[in-house]
Amino acid sequence: MSRTTVDHSLFWNREISSKLSYDANAPIVKEAKIISLSDVNDPSNGPLNNPTNDLPQGSRLLAVGGSIDDFDVELLKREGANTIFVSHPLARDPLDRLLQEIPSIEWIHSRSAGMDFVASPTLTSFQGKVTNAKGLYSSTLAEYTMMACSYFAKDLPRLLKNKGFKNWEKYNVLELRGSTLGIVGYGDIGRAAARLAVAYGMKVIALRRRPVPDDLCSVVYGNDKESLNRLFAECDYILCAAPLTAETNGMIGKEQFDAAKSGAVFINVGRGPIVDEDALVEALKDGRLKGAGLDVFATEPLSKSSPLWELDNVLLSPHNMDQTATFTYESTSFFVEENLPRFVRGLPLLNPVDASAGY
Amino acid sequence: MSKTKVDHNLFWNREISSKLAYDANAPIVKEAKIISLSDVNDPSNRPLNNPADGLPQGSRLLAVGGSIEEFDIEMLKREGANTIFVSHPLAREPLDRLLQEIPSIEWIHSRSAGMDFVASPTLASFQGKVTNAKGLYSSTLAEYTIMACSYFAKDLPRLLKNKGAKNWEKYNVLELRGSTLGTVGYGDIGRAVARLAVAYGMKVLALRRRPVPDDLCSVVYGNDKESLSRLFAECDYILCAAPLTAETKGMIGKEQFDVAKSGAVFINVGRGPIVDEDALIEALKDGRLKGAGLDVFATEPLSKSSPLWELDNVLLSPHNMDQTATFTYESTSFFVEENLPRFVRDLPLLNPVDVSAGY
Repeated sequence: MSRTTVDHSLFWNREISSKLSYDANAPIVKEAKIISLSDVNDPSNGPLNNPTNDLPQGSRLLAVGGSIDDFDVELLKREGANTIFVSHPLARDPLDRLLQEIPSIEWIHSRSAGMDFVASPTLTSFQGKVTNAKGLYSSTLAEYTMMACSYFAKDLPRLLKNKGFKNWEKYNVLELRGSTLGIVGYGDIGRAAARLAVAYGMKVIALRRRPVPDDLCSVVYGNDKESLNRLFAECDYILCAAPLTAETNGMIGKEQFDAAKSGAVFINVGRGPIVDEDALVEALKDGRLKGAGLDVFATEPLSKSSPLWELDNVLLSPHNMDQTATFTYESTSFFVEENLPRFVRGLPLLNPVDASAGY
Repeated sequence: MSKTKVDHNLFWNREISSKLAYDANAPIVKEAKIISLSDVNDPSNRPLNNPADGLPQGSRLLAVGGSIEEFDIEMLKREGANTIFVSHPLAREPLDRLLQEIPSIEWIHSRSAGMDFVASPTLASFQGKVTNAKGLYSSTLAEYTIMACSYFAKDLPRLLKNKGAKNWEKYNVLELRGSTLGTVGYGDIGRAVARLAVAYGMKVLALRRRPVPDDLCSVVYGNDKESLSRLFAECDYILCAAPLTAETKGMIGKEQFDVAKSGAVFINVGRGPIVDEDALIEALKDGRLKGAGLDVFATEPLSKSSPLWELDNVLLSPHNMDQTATFTYESTSFFVEENLPRFVRDLPLLNPVDVSAGY
């Protein structure tokens, strides 16, 4: 699935990109008439739903709501609503309805980086602009990734078990230095993790759709089955930081775990459905994988019946390793301060999404 | 306590320094007649005790043993033993006896970086050369330190408790990026940590005896009481990576914990007695410290009666976070491959220790 329709120079990265670099002197040519499909009680939406200062010139908030019943669709059609800001976790159905009922919608912005939570046939065939929060969440996920690698290198499962028994038992630890990290999906998160890994003296191998060399990676493989299996065979730590698309769904499973290097650790900060979770559980139980750091799951919340809760060699988090007090707020600010001023001036919007590709 | 007698150019760092950089053409002018005060069963001592290819030219191993009874002192005196390699954990008394009984000893090399395990009045007044393993263990301790910071930033105590209860409960995590790390003692370990911390986007403050500016540190304080308290007041993470000396003993206690910044985390990879352990426990219990990562303790092994075992906000390891399968072996190799060839050629030995200062 090609993603050649988006301009990579419009990708924005929280740690690297300049702020407010649009031409503020360019004339305002249209109005942004905004529907905020969001949780009205979530303070992270404050910069849009309840801004201290006014919204940027030319921008007008028409309505805020979490379900389709919260909206007066006729009013929104009359007003010519053209922008939807999406952050509500249950936004899929309302967004679908709004797109079908309000033909004037020309732009959808997601407060999150993942688009799978709102994916639908309507969205896939949407002809307008879609933008998201890629590049805003990578830093803390890279920190989590290195922590997960260290968690298993220093054998924290053993350490914590010993602590429970007050057992002072010295054992050997491993270094990250000199080990190999493989990255499936080399976007902002993958690159941020690679940057840290290199600082640790790790070797980095990346799997990406376009196997373009990168100064952080020893090797870059293409996004084919054989390369994926090679990654598992050659790496001590494998990070999945890919988006969930039709292509990546179920891409990692028994075949990869069978090929895994001895002592391999798997880390997933992408999306749960990329991995065959039953196969993952088996690989963790029989030792084909030494351990796993999982922040995402096939179904969330993770059912109490999942064996993952009880495996000592699983570092399990409730999809919150990118949830800082400030990120979601900063993401809303990004929409308000970076993309709204660009939209009203007819300038290219940052962080374009290829709706047909899904990311 | 000044350490002006040692030449810092002779310090060797595993990650940075060149190997075998001595002049191999310089003539051999004397013999190294070696006593190996070590555990004969420890394979890490093999490069000396049982080398595959023999020792360097001019070096001769006279005896291996762990206690004074294992040595024929009269024979060692007759042979003119001049070198002692020390790695046995219970080496303090045997070393003391050997130094008193064998006047020909002119060089002591420690396989570890810490010298406190063999400290004695006899050693403090020893007039010969003393060298150690500084710079060999820093990398993995730096990895541990950052892991300990992340452990508390991502609130792993809470995460692990939730896992045990199968409780999927999202919560906010903190970033290391933008936070401040203070390091007490800025030797190889402190510097290795600073290097990683900077890669994470942390700000680094260092406390060192000589407050010389450093490109990794925002600020460098002098080694006085007031500066130490400032460090605790300004830092989110405080690392103790200092050696145990008369000066550092008991240096960190209630006074520092009282001024600690809200949410401060204390990490100790130096030596336990630098910290007042009872005061540490109190600070962890009442929240003056959010948490602590402790690899060293006042008494090791840590007694089962210590409250530290039961505190959820303590990451507790049995002084093994620098214990890799290869480090101790590499340290013995360092003695054999770097310092023995220098000794027999009367070249300056690497990693000199100032015994009067204790490190």
